[in-house]
Amino acid sequence: MSDSILRVESLDKVVRTADQDLTILKGVSFELKQGHSLAIVGPSGAGKSTLLGLLAGLDEPSSGHIWLGQHQITAMDEEGRARVRSELVGFVFQTFQLLGSLTALENVALPMELAGQKDAQARSRDYLAKVGLAERTTHYPKQLSGGEQQRVAVARAFACAPKLLFADEPTGNLDQATGEKISDLLFELNEQSDTTLVLVTHEQRLAERCQTIITIDGGEISNTVEKSVKEAPRGAVA
Amino acid sequence: MSTIDLKLLYRDWRGGQLSLVISALVLAVTVVTAVSLFADRVERGITQQISQFLAADLAVRGGIEIAPVYRDKANELSLVTADTVSFRSMVFAGDNNHLASVKAVSQSYPLRGSVELSDNIQGLNIRMSEQGPEPGEAWVEPRLLNLLNINLGATIEVGYLSLKVTQLIINEPDRGTGFGAAGARVMMSRADLPKSKLIRPGSRASYRLLLSGSEGAVEQYERWYAAKASKEESENTVPHFNLVTPEGAEEQLSEAFTRGRSFLLLSGTIGVLLAGLAMALASHRYANRLTDQVALMKAWGQPSSAVRRSQFIRLLVIALVATTIGMLVGWLAHYLLLELAKGLLNVELPNPSWRPWLVASITGITCVLGFALPALWHLPAIAPLKVLRRDMPTSLVSQGRRLAVGVLALFLLTVWYSGSLLTASLFLAALFLLFAVCAVVALQFLRLVKGLGAWQGSYLRLGLANLWRRRAQTLVQLVGFATTLMLLLIVTGMRTSLISEWEAQLPDDTPSHFLFNVANTEVGEVKQLLVDEQLETTDWFPMVRGRLVEINGETITRERLAKSGGLSREVNFTQTATLPASNELVEGEWWQAPPAGPEFSMEQDVAAEIGLNIGDDVTFSIGGLTFSAKLASLRSVSWQSMNPNFYVIFYPGALDKYSPNWVTAVRAGSILDQRADDLTQQAPFISEMVQRFPTAIVLELTDVVSRIRDVIQRVTQGLELILMLVLACGAMVLFASIGVSFDERLRENAILRTLGSSKKVILGALAVEYAALGFVSGLIASAGAEIVLYFVQTKVFELSAQWHPLLWLLGTVSGVVLVTLLGLLRSREIISVPPLESLRRLA
Repeated sequence: MSDSILRVESLDKVVRTADQDLTILKGVSFELKQGHSLAIVGPSGAGKSTLLGLLAGLDEPSSGHIWLGQHQITAMDEEGRARVRSELVGFVFQTFQLLGSLTALENVALPMELAGQKDAQARSRDYLAKVGLAERTTHYPKQLSGGEQQRVAVARAFACAPKLLFADEPTGNLDQATGEKISDLLFELNEQSDTTLVLVTHEQRLAERCQTIITIDGGEISNTVEKSVKEAPRGAVA
Repeated sequence: MSTIDLKLLYRDWRGGQLSLVISALVLAVTVVTAVSLFADRVERGITQQISQFLAADLAVRGGIEIAPVYRDKANELSLVTADTVSFRSMVFAGDNNHLASVKAVSQSYPLRGSVELSDNIQGLNIRMSEQGPEPGEAWVEPRLLNLLNINLGATIEVGYLSLKVTQLIINEPDRGTGFGAAGARVMMSRADLPKSKLIRPGSRASYRLLLSGSEGAVEQYERWYAAKASKEESENTVPHFNLVTPEGAEEQLSEAFTRGRSFLLLSGTIGVLLAGLAMALASHRYANRLTDQVALMKAWGQPSSAVRRSQFIRLLVIALVATTIGMLVGWLAHYLLLELAKGLLNVELPNPSWRPWLVASITGITCVLGFALPALWHLPAIAPLKVLRRDMPTSLVSQGRRLAVGVLALFLLTVWYSGSLLTASLFLAALFLLFAVCAVVALQFLRLVKGLGAWQGSYLRLGLANLWRRRAQTLVQLVGFATTLMLLLIVTGMRTSLISEWEAQLPDDTPSHFLFNVANTEVGEVKQLLVDEQLETTDWFPMVRGRLVEINGETITRERLAKSGGLSREVNFTQTATLPASNELVEGEWWQAPPAGPEFSMEQDVAAEIGLNIGDDVTFSIGGLTFSAKLASLRSVSWQSMNPNFYVIFYPGALDKYSPNWVTAVRAGSILDQRADDLTQQAPFISEMVQRFPTAIVLELTDVVSRIRDVIQRVTQGLELILMLVLACGAMVLFASIGVSFDERLRENAILRTLGSSKKVILGALAVEYAALGFVSGLIASAGAEIVLYFVQTKVFELSAQWHPLLWLLGTVSGVVLVTLLGLLRSREIISVPPLESLRRLA
């Protein structure tokens, strides 16, 4: 248990609508070790993104428990969860979530600057170089292609050195070739930085690169696939 | 303050997210600074100018020699003093004589303003003198030369004194606009007065002690005087003197002055209201842009308190920077205003006080707290989950609360600016009314639009459909546009009504000249002369000078008489059976049939001053003969009507035996003509009158009116300049309210263009949409302005209410033109940016 970075026990999420209670998640339990990768797959509306939100401490479950590292975030209020997030968590989003008024460099540096890290700029440059955008640091998101924007988002996520990286459909808005490059990047950086990766995806190819695949259907875990050996990342980072 | 907050602020500014918020705040502060500085300086300038009408900052006035205590206090406060004594006296030159208005002045007269003098009969070579005539000299009005048939340099006899006429008086500061001073003016030295032996105990004369000095000393003197007066009142002693302030110096001038000040302050408030509205709209947009940033910050673990702190720091910096820039720009703008006004405002402007700067700073901070903060208040509460679910609703501070905070801020500012709870309340009442009317009318309009949706024209259908689809935003825009237009219309309406109301008081047949002192024996000839000259006159009134001596058998003490400005000296009595025009009966009854005994009617204000009631028996003295009459009625008199008016009117017969002189008013040209500086441009009948009837007095009203109008013009022209800044604020509101729907329009039009719509169709649809918005806004604005004008006219400015059909035309046409032009200008990006770039920007 001590080497688990993420542990979930009997997680339920019920949403109250006008005329009935809607169960989004029911009895979800699993565990994930530090440095491992997990894919959450399932059909649309199965509750994948809701689960991701709960795991990252962005939302509260109706019942059940979640531990991030040693912290039981389900016993914390939002301010407590915020502290845990700032310490452990990074994000990559389907819609990139870059701030339009910030350059690529500033976008990468922002979370580190907010956390008061002194070397934010230098680190950002390093990570932009790692994702192949060393020449594009002063470009604004609108001047970048979708793939480039997601590379900036990946650099931003890894530059903070999170213990856990949550990625919500990271290739969902990209074409197949670009999507593969982004997933290569994700796994390569995951490997380099010993970050635990939690992905929500509906792309089988991306899911298959993870060590664990959880299938969610109707709010419940319908299938769990554990791979014994971690696959090598495909190809080099562009 | 952490550097990251400043970095974020700088990046927001760089990204263009803040430009509208800051511009609106800068503009609000600019307007307030410029208006306050301008108003402050103009107001102080005008106050000084009105002091010129008094020839001083203050004057102590009385019917007897001013008591030493008043002079001592003035000396104690280091005030500069001057003395004037005014009385009527016959002046002679050879066989000719004239009942002149003589004013004996000390050397230091005038303390404010100057006497305009000329040394030739054509009125050329005008020079300004800031001191009175030397002993042995007389300065006279040019017409006295005709009246006495003399030239400059001749000698005139005033009492036992001979004076040499050395200068002609073109204008003098405290000449006054009343008609009491009907004789030709003669100004002489106060030092000569004893030698003239004209003033003896019981002589009728008006004494003035003129005072001037620093603002503080003048205020101190006023306070001292007020304390002394209230002490005398509590001791029940009757004061012999009264204090004349600039505001009270000329009733009509001070009315214009008070109205002018209200106008300036109201204009400032309107500017702030408009800029505040623009700020609120722009801040709303800024808040939308910040939503993603805040959601991300929270997902990365920033606590709400950090977001709140960051928000406050950003707003504080915005407030400081924008207020400083606004004050600087406002300071420059006020110089521009002064430069523009130089030709219009013939007023020397003193330095501003500290108040405008305080007003500007407090305005800046209040605007941020009242208009920007409420729009951003919800940001720290944004759920971090929004990073995953962007469609999650954000719980904005409710429109109602934001409105309440904005209104409160505005209310506090308005009350502070105007110092009037009534003015501030009226403004807010009008605002709520506008919102309510907007909501109701806009709803009807949108229903109509829905019906028009079936029309085929592509621009029209698309444009009108846009309005319907964006009902909520349409409402915001309508409120924005309509408020702007309404306020502009209110100011326009008020500006025009100020002058037009004044001129409306002067009917076409307003007399241009007064004829006084027409002897009983000459009335027939003068009437014939006027008929020959084809001049119209008002009624002729017999006039006798006399005074009140007893009330109900009790002698009227000098003290009691001194209470009344009108009756403290000899006054003109007349007799007539019909109530004169411009008089209204307020108490008692006008004679329907000859009364049993002598009766008279009195003007209500002087009756109140001296304490007379209906039925009181009053004894009058005319030329030493006395008779009694009963007070039958009280009248209100419109002194501004330019007709001959009287305090005391007897029933016909009472004055017959006192050989009255006659008075009438003549219309010879329009009274509204500018005063001709050329003295030869007098109405032709005057010279004949003066020569044939030298004792008759002709008073030119054109001169009087042009002086009054001049002052009103100056005040309103100052306002027009300020309106230009208000207009800029109005444009800012239009820009900001279009900004509310900007992103949505950018996205939709990008899609439309991607789908093959031509630029022309999109432009046409936008034009239709803005024009329709402008039209409805114009209609609503006109209605709102009409309602507000009604209240402002009747309650604040105490004018009679007027209907303004031109305002409606102006409202709708300017609504369509203004909104369409500004709308298209603001939307040019929507059309010009390639569709792909638009979509990327919004991704």
